[in-house]
Amino acid sequence: MTKTILAVDDSGSLRQMLSFSLKAAGYGVIEAVDGQDGLAKAKQQKVDLVLTDQNMPGMDGLSLIKALRAMQNYKTVPILMLTTESGDDMKAMGRAAGANGWLVKPFDPARLTEVVKKLIG
Amino acid sequence: MRPHESPAGELMNAQVVRLLSDVSVHGDQHLAEVERDLVQMDVLLDEAIKKLCASFMAIHQAVDRQQEALSGLLADGGSGSEQAARVAALRAEIAEHVGAAVTGLQFQDMTSQLIGRMVQHLAGLRDVFGALDANGAVLPESGNEALLAMLGDISDRVGARCSELAGSVRSTVNQRHMNSGDIELF
Repeated sequence: MTKTILAVDDSGSLRQMLSFSLKAAGYGVIEAVDGQDGLAKAKQQKVDLVLTDQNMPGMDGLSLIKALRAMQNYKTVPILMLTTESGDDMKAMGRAAGANGWLVKPFDPARLTEVVKKLIG
Repeated sequence: MRPHESPAGELMNAQVVRLLSDVSVHGDQHLAEVERDLVQMDVLLDEAIKKLCASFMAIHQAVDRQQEALSGLLADGGSGSEQAARVAALRAEIAEHVGAAVTGLQFQDMTSQLIGRMVQHLAGLRDVFGALDANGAVLPESGNEALLAMLGDISDRVGARCSELAGSVRSTVNQRHMNSGDIELF
């Protein structure tokens, strides 16, 4: 069965590249334009992994993670941050919010799919 | 007669008013142009990269199908194991190039974030000029103390606006290395 990944980023081109890279590796991808949209789509359909940006208008990545972790069926779903932020403080905040990993942009498709495969197969 | 009530003092006040007004009008015009151009630049860059990205995907998919067909033909021939290995290596090489292109294309996302920050800062500056214009119109006609108090008030407003801006603007992009970023699993 195809595993589904929710890709949340306010940049259209970034979402396009994530979708391309993950679909090429055999995953299904749902795109969301910001945290609010991501949360709505996560409620509509359970996904196997969430990949989210941090800096987005409206609801940011950390708020999205907190909201997802508050939902019973997203307690253990892997969540990865994909962001230009690389400071230790931000990483610590991500970890505390419930993120499982921190990826600094720009991502390499092969390394990204390697990490995703490690987490959800 | 106190110095601030002299004709010279009144002249100074008039000059300050005119100066503030000129700064406001010209600054606002220039900033509006810069802001508009930056927004347009962002739209154009975004569009260009989307088109490039779509083209890369299409090329990748077409080449992929071609390689599969070639592999099938070679396998049917029975004696093409060396050719098949070469085709497989080529396929891996193309995938690597496409991956590198995808990494490279993401720099547009960073420029977009920077442009967004600049637009916010410019909008903030426009607010500052707006405050100067609004306060300049009601500057006291005489009295250095009153004038100083007014300028102090303007300065406080500008400072408060800067603080607001610092809290709402996105953090900057400090990208120095031009390869893909680090990955850390918790």
